[in-house]
Order: sequence, then C-alpha cells, then structure tokens
Amino acid sequence: MARTLAMFTDTSLCIGCRACQVACKQWNELGLEVPEWTGGYQNHAHFTDKTFRLVRFIEEPGAKPNGDLAWLLMSDVCKHCAQAGCLDACPTGAIYRTEYGTVNINQDVCNGCRYCVSSCPFGVVAFNESTGTAKKCTFCNDRIHNGLGPACAKACPTESIQFGFRDELVAKAGKRVEALKGMGFKDAQLYGADTGGFLGGLNAFFLLLSKPSVYNLPDNPKLPQRNVVVDSLLSIGSALVVGLGVLLSFRERGKGGPHRDA
Amino acid sequence: MLKPPHWEMMIVWYFFLGGIAGGAYFTAAIADNFGSARDRGVARVGYLLSLPLVALCGLLLVADLGVPTRFMNMMRVFKFSDPMSLGAWAVGVFGLFTFVSSVLSLSSSPSHAALRRKIGFVGIFFGFFLASYTGVLLSNSALPFWRDARLMGALFLASGASTGIAAITLIMFATGQATGDGWHKLKRADHVSMIIELVLLVALIGLLGAAAKPLISGHFAPLFWGGLVGVGLVVPFVLDFVAHRTRAVGALAAALILVGGFVLRYVVLMSIQA
Ligand code: SF4
Ligand code: SF4
Repeated sequence: MARTLAMFTDTSLCIGCRACQVACKQWNELGLEVPEWTGGYQNHAHFTDKTFRLVRFIEEPGAKPNGDLAWLLMSDVCKHCAQAGCLDACPTGAIYRTEYGTVNINQDVCNGCRYCVSSCPFGVVAFNESTGTAKKCTFCNDRIHNGLGPACAKACPTESIQFGFRDELVAKAGKRVEALKGMGFKDAQLYGADTGGFLGGLNAFFLLLSKPSVYNLPDNPKLPQRNVVVDSLLSIGSALVVGLGVLLSFRERGKGGPHRDA
Repeated sequence: MLKPPHWEMMIVWYFFLGGIAGGAYFTAAIADNFGSARDRGVARVGYLLSLPLVALCGLLLVADLGVPTRFMNMMRVFKFSDPMSLGAWAVGVFGLFTFVSSVLSLSSSPSHAALRRKIGFVGIFFGFFLASYTGVLLSNSALPFWRDARLMGALFLASGASTGIAAITLIMFATGQATGDGWHKLKRADHVSMIIELVLLVALIGLLGAAAKPLISGHFAPLFWGGLVGVGLVVPFVLDFVAHRTRAVGALAAALILVGGFVLRYVVLMSIQA
C-alpha cells in the first residue's frame, strides 16, 4: 500500500465561500439539485447523492466571549474512515479501499442494496434514484491517481482544506491546535486525527473550534458491525430454545419415549 | 444526521415472508424428524409452504435493488461477517432445500422419507438463519434504535417460528386436516414460540431503554401495542385458552398471529424511516 493520503479540514480558516462545494460539483459532474430552505446559509441540509462536499454554517448563540452569536463554518465530507462501516456492509464488494487508504464505491458493481447508506456512522452515503446506485465522495479518485489533489482542496482559497500525506498533515494539525489554544480558542480540537482513536482514525480529519456535537458530529462514532458476533450468538441461543420448544411439542410422549415410524 | 436506507414495503414483506418460510420449514423438519407418522401432514404442509414463499422472497429482494439486473453481484463475494452478504447466499441455499424437501414430501416411499428427514435436518439450520439474520442485519447498522437492538435477530427468529407455525395451522384448517393430535401439537408449538417471543420482546425493550422510543411511544406506538402486542400476541392466547376445542377459533387465532408478525416487521422498519 502506498503512503496513506489524507485531507485535513481546518475549520478555523473556513470563510464559508463554498468554493470547495462548487469545485466538487463541477469536477465530479454532479447534477443540478433544487435548493432547500434550511433556515440559514447552508444548502443542502445534509450530503445528497449530488453533494459530496458540504459547507456547514453553524450558529451557536452566546458562544462568543462577549455573549454574541458564534458562527462556526465547516466544510464537511466523507471521512474515509480507517474502519469504514459502509465498506464492511457492502455485499457486492463495490466499496473498496484504494492503495492510498481512501474509500471508494465502484459504480459499475454497486447494485443499489443501500446497506451502506444505513451503515455509515456519519450519514454520508446517499442513494441515487436515476443510476440506482450509492454515491459519496470519491476523494477525487481520478485526480489522486494522476498526481493531483482533490478538487475541493485545490479550490480552497484559505487552505482550510489541505491535502497531503496523512502523517505529515497530522503533525501540522497538532501544531495548529496548540497555536489556536494560545490565541484563546480553548475548545480547539482535532477530530479523527488519532489512528488509535475511534474508527481507527479518519483519513479526512478535522480541526474543530468547539465540541463535535456542536457540529452535529458524533462524539465517539462506533463501527456498526462491532456487535455482529454477539447478536448472532443471541440469535443462535433463541434458535436453540425455540427449536427445543417445537421439538418437545411434537415428540410423542407417554409411550416410553420418542418413537418413529417411517 | 444519519440516513435511512429506504427499505420500505417490499422489504417489510420480505422480512415477514422470510420469517414464515424459515419458521414453517424448520417446524416441518422438526416434526418430520422427531414427531410421529401422523405428523407427516404437518411436515408436508410446512415444506410445501416454504418453497413458494422463499421464491417470492428472492423476487422481492431483487426487485428492491437499485439495479435489479446486478443481483448476481452479491454472488461475487462471500463476506462471513456481513449479514447482507450471507443473507443473499442463504436465500439461494435455503431455496434449494425447500425445493428438494417439497419434492420428496410428495413421495410415499420409505427411502425417500428417510432422505427427506436427513435433508430436512440439515435444512433446519438454514431455516433458522433466514428467520433471524434480518434482525442481525438491522442491529449492525448505524441507525439509532436498530443499532441498539441487540436482540432483534433473536426476536425475529421466535416470531418466524410463531408465524410459520400459524401459517401451517391455517392451511391445515383450510384443507380439512385440522384433526386430533397433530392440531394440538401445532398449537402447543405455537404457544411455546409465542411465549419465547413475548419474553424476548420484553427483554428487547428493556435493553433498549430510551432507544425504544420509536417503537413504544412514537407515532407507531398504537400499531405496536395494538397490532403486535394486542392483536398479535395477547388476543390469540386468550382465544386459544377459552375455546381450545373449536377449530375455527384456533384458525382465527393463527390468522391474528400472522397479522402480529407483519406488524412487527412493519413497525421495526418503518418507525425510523417514515
Ligand atoms: S464516512 Fe461513511 S461513507 Fe465515508 S468512509 Fe466512513 S463509513 Fe464510509
Ligand atoms: S448500495 Fe451498492 S455500494 Fe452500497 S452496500 Fe449495496 S452494493 Fe455496496
């Protein structure tokens, strides 16, 4: 495997211009969508089958030191999890990990069962009715295989989205958190940078200025499939009890034990 | 900010009919292997019922795909820890078992009967699988309520048994085979599975705690309490208790058990997707 690539989204630098969202749409030829009213500048409310990069506009009343409304901006994307629920769920093998560590859906193999949609802990994967397949950020698979960074990172005018080798970006991000803390952003923190943390680390990780929950991110996302053995054993236990109950109901009694005739 | 997969009515039917197919088959095979010669009618009905049901299940599963012609892509891989992958394989393998058992159940030759019992014995495990894996599939998703329902597979299995047996009961009644011993054995088996189902349902809700909300106190709560717990479990018990000699009442109870089984799949799937 090649050295793992990553995207580091430093939300403290985001100005909400949505260059990334537009660049993603154009490079990936994602179709038109009817905008929706979300009560703010954000559009759409969530990832769709045609929106893979999404700038979130989060209003946090009273969060500024002077009591003003804080406006948090975050360019959100598929996290390309090291332990990816979507990948584990896919029964066709359409979802695969590239040699760079990114997670991609092979559109020629996906049969549209939608199990991945229900298995992403971040609600990233969306179903496209017209192709009948599941869609999500590809980490610009075509670009990274031709020596280019993802379109969103390329377009970002403030370097809020940075692209590079994962280890280098994590080191850089750590320094940035310290610098921000020194500037008084006491809640500044990394999300998904730690490979020893949740989901084995995210290959698209973030620097947040507040708690993950403020950004509608789960504090401690878990791999959906972690309980498959326990749940299966419970089902097997149920099968044994039910099977025994049915067996005892059908067994001949009062005639000196079970008997059988052809 | 999670997304539901939009598994709607076709999948509700698939879960429901798959439970009946699995339950009817393993009941038939158990009756065939451990019952008496007089239980062979039960076995035959169970085998013959599971065959068209599993065929229908296969069709529903394919029709619900975004690209139905790519169904065979599920056969490219075999993922042992993925319920969706195993399930696709199991529908096929179980289908073969129901076919062979059904054909053999039409023969009266003793050697065929012996073979049928052996095949049925192995098929029991695929019947169990088909009836329960759908619950494990849901409990291994990322969606709230589903992901917390550790006992969903176990519950679906018990419900598969109770609905599978109820379906056999109804067919026996409709075809005039509701006679003597066999009928009472069926009823007894159904009551046992329903008691297990009730216990699992209580345990499931207890373990879910606050996550049980969509089921027990939301928009779908009346359907859950009235349709599943009332009509599907309590009323059939009462009917069988007060009128256990009247076949027609027994058949009505079986019909209500089927309604309850459908409601269970419906509320579980739709309550967080609607
Ligand atoms: S964020 Fe969701 S879609 Fe992206 S890799 Fe992780 S599980 Fe898959
Ligand atoms: S919808 Fe496609 S990509 Fe998603 S799990 Fe099913 S086959 Fe795999």
